[in-house]
Amino acid sequence: MAMKENLRTLLGAGWLGWQMEANWTDPFLFLVYSVAKPVSGALILVFMYIVILGGVAAQSTAFAYIFLGNAFFIYVGQVLFGVTWVIHEDREHFQTLKLIYISPISFYYYIIGRAGSKILIATIAVVVTLLFGVFALGIPVDAFTMDWGLLILCLTVGMACLVSIGIALAGITFLTAKHSGGINEGIAGLFYVFCGVVFPITQLPAWGQSLGYAIPVTYWLEAMRKALLPAQQLQGTGLQGIENIWLVALLAVSALFFYFLSILIFRLGDYLARRAGKIDMTTAY
Amino acid sequence: MNYAVETKDLTRIFRVKKRRRRRSGSKGAEQDVTALKDVNLRIEEGELFGLLGPNGAGKTTLIKILCTLLLPTSGKAYVAGNDVEKDPYPIRRIINMVSGGETSGYGLLTTRENLWMFSQFYGIPSKEAKKRIDEMLEAFGIWDKRNAKVRTLSTGERQKANVIRGFMTDPSIIFLDEPTLGLDVNASRIIRKFISDWVRETSGRTVLLTTHYMMEADELCDRLAIIDEGGIVACDTPRNLKRTVSKASSLMFEVDYLRDPDKLKGIEGIQNFTYKHNGQMNRTLLTFIVQDESAVADIVSRIVDQGAKIHSLEKREPTLEDVFVSLVGKGLA
Amino acid sequence: MKEYLLLNLRALKGRAYPRVVGGTRELSWIFFDTVLPLLTVAAYVFVYKYLGTFEGPQQEYIAQFIGYVILGGAMTAYWMNVLWSMAAQFYWEKEIGNLQLYMIAPMSRMAVLGGMALGGMFYTSVRAISTIVIGVLIFGVTFSLGPPIYLVLVFILTLIALYGMGMLFASLYMIYGREAWHMSSLLTEPIYLVSGFYFPVRYLGSIVALSASIIPITLGLDALRQLMFTETAGIHGFLPVEVELVALAVLSVLFLFLARHSLRFMENLGRKTGRLTMRWQ
Repeated sequence: MAMKENLRTLLGAGWLGWQMEANWTDPFLFLVYSVAKPVSGALILVFMYIVILGGVAAQSTAFAYIFLGNAFFIYVGQVLFGVTWVIHEDREHFQTLKLIYISPISFYYYIIGRAGSKILIATIAVVVTLLFGVFALGIPVDAFTMDWGLLILCLTVGMACLVSIGIALAGITFLTAKHSGGINEGIAGLFYVFCGVVFPITQLPAWGQSLGYAIPVTYWLEAMRKALLPAQQLQGTGLQGIENIWLVALLAVSALFFYFLSILIFRLGDYLARRAGKIDMTTAY
Repeated sequence: MNYAVETKDLTRIFRVKKRRRRRSGSKGAEQDVTALKDVNLRIEEGELFGLLGPNGAGKTTLIKILCTLLLPTSGKAYVAGNDVEKDPYPIRRIINMVSGGETSGYGLLTTRENLWMFSQFYGIPSKEAKKRIDEMLEAFGIWDKRNAKVRTLSTGERQKANVIRGFMTDPSIIFLDEPTLGLDVNASRIIRKFISDWVRETSGRTVLLTTHYMMEADELCDRLAIIDEGGIVACDTPRNLKRTVSKASSLMFEVDYLRDPDKLKGIEGIQNFTYKHNGQMNRTLLTFIVQDESAVADIVSRIVDQGAKIHSLEKREPTLEDVFVSLVGKGLA
Repeated sequence: MKEYLLLNLRALKGRAYPRVVGGTRELSWIFFDTVLPLLTVAAYVFVYKYLGTFEGPQQEYIAQFIGYVILGGAMTAYWMNVLWSMAAQFYWEKEIGNLQLYMIAPMSRMAVLGGMALGGMFYTSVRAISTIVIGVLIFGVTFSLGPPIYLVLVFILTLIALYGMGMLFASLYMIYGREAWHMSSLLTEPIYLVSGFYFPVRYLGSIVALSASIIPITLGLDALRQLMFTETAGIHGFLPVEVELVALAVLSVLFLFLARHSLRFMENLGRKTGRLTMRWQ
């Protein structure tokens, strides 16, 4: 019974999220919009690379490392933003948060449902960015040599982990004012620096590397690269010697840890927000 | 003559998109919704004019047009002689608007700061603005909330602050769109009293008040228009409007059980008379429709002659609700 | 005339006030708006450091590129402020019910936008300055500064032109619903790319760089880089600083002029269609 209700919440919230995301314009414009942002983000790195090294063909393994890390990082930005923004948008703009909050549905399922549309849009953006990388920039991803099992398994675990982290941030957003956009931007930035997204974590000072090893996104991105380019691995990344099975295990364990941590943070944020009367706060200025 | 507000055949049509129908494949066709239709109104300077109508009657649309927020589709509207379409700027100098249930300003500011901010949009020197704000905060009984952040105010306090926002700029014409919406009796009473005092305090001040509370319209307004489905169906003083329904008054007596109520018939001045026995309470309820209230003395003496005691007497005037029902064939709610 | 000027100055002060005190009321912005955005900048710094480990035509200038990124990161704060707190602000104001109160007031709409811009510049400057200071301290960037008068002029003109553009956007967004939000969202990464926030814009080629120069931050950032890293100005600069200064002055006047007219036009359009006060679009 509860499962059925949760599923209904998930689907209803998913539908609502999609309407909010997409019904302001026609589908073509929406698609262009959804793709233009991430592709531009990827192109910034491409240009940085070209400016410094003279072309993408130079050090092609390093280029593939940077490009793929950046492509999959689209998920991190979108999912963290999507989950966190639900709180801000519902509370301050539509002022419906209090109504959802007092309804008997599971708030977790509601947030996850609302973020579902972001995951879908992010998937389109990731696929388009990857296709651009393969066909325009010559990254040697081949559908026949890819490790599909690793890809599907790690993509699923990674998504669950990202949603968990997003929920923790949503808990913090309960307590913060208008600048809650900064949480997404900031935490995503934190992962961008410390998780070996666009440069190997060995570039970081020792304490930064330790931090990177503690965040599941680091293992997730490495697993994604290994799944797409099993034969071409960059040396000196700090993770190059780890077997796939251990990579998956590390990802699963750190994801599980973050899952429990997220629930704890969300509940604490929720409790403190109720105590401070911030559930229906509006802070625009 | 320049009226505070004048409209001539004022019409506003909104073009709204229809929902797409998946099966028919029709792509978001548009349809017209008429919010106001040939509205003709003249409000004189110094009047407290009411606009009475149910939800969706067009009250807010009319206010928006007069406040220069919306253009008419056809017809004309003038505020203090200025065309709302061609001369919005002189209008904005002399008007203000308060809506019921609005949330104005910024939650991070205190009540006093918020009001000060709005006063600056009207060019009031800070010192003068603060003096006026303090006086009005006191008058509305929210002086103790002057340093509270707006987001912490209760609904009633917030609405009082909104009313202060509207009046502190000392407008010549103020538009009040359901200003007591959702407020408790006490808060509503304070706001109504302020409005009434304000308009009478200095000559030339004009109020256009929309409401669907009949008691409020009846108590406050010099004249009022009844609006329904975008059209004005009647416009007069509340008293005259009620007279159009009936020139008689209704008297209700609750007395001891009367064996022969028909003996009360034939008293001069009575237009109609009905009675109802309540056996359980051993009482009789008598209702007289009287043309002339001097008939009351005769009624009382005939009841007493029958040896019955009068327990209550209530005189019931025709209400604006009765007027509304008789004009548009439905209630206000 | 004097009365109208006073009215608008007061309106400007009134609207700037919530922005200025807003920062002191909700102190969480210090963390979110200064420390966290620096992380993205740090990531790009590490990318340059990493790329600097390979042989390449620009290997010897890696230190300057790191400086460019930090400067770009600082200017990001202004761009974000213009997009979210200027361009999209009237949309928020409409949603929370303030826009209609602004519209019935007698002051110029430019005064309201000016107040928002001034208030916004105040707290955005804190974020921008902190990005530069922390960047300099952590990554050891050293500057070779050009004439200070040019530096000040470029910075001020960039901000005037940029916020003028924000005012123009605000007028265009005024009758928008959620489109306003999405437009601002769309103008982040693509603009970071074409305006050269993280690498000198000249590497995009003359046509793209010139086209992108309609966004004041493109030329402003390029001129600032040339004036703060004079040693590499001739190698990485797009146009001579003097030309960029004149272009920024022209853009300032152009955007303020366009914003004024566009505000009036869009306000009328909004009054005609009824979208000026339509919420939850």
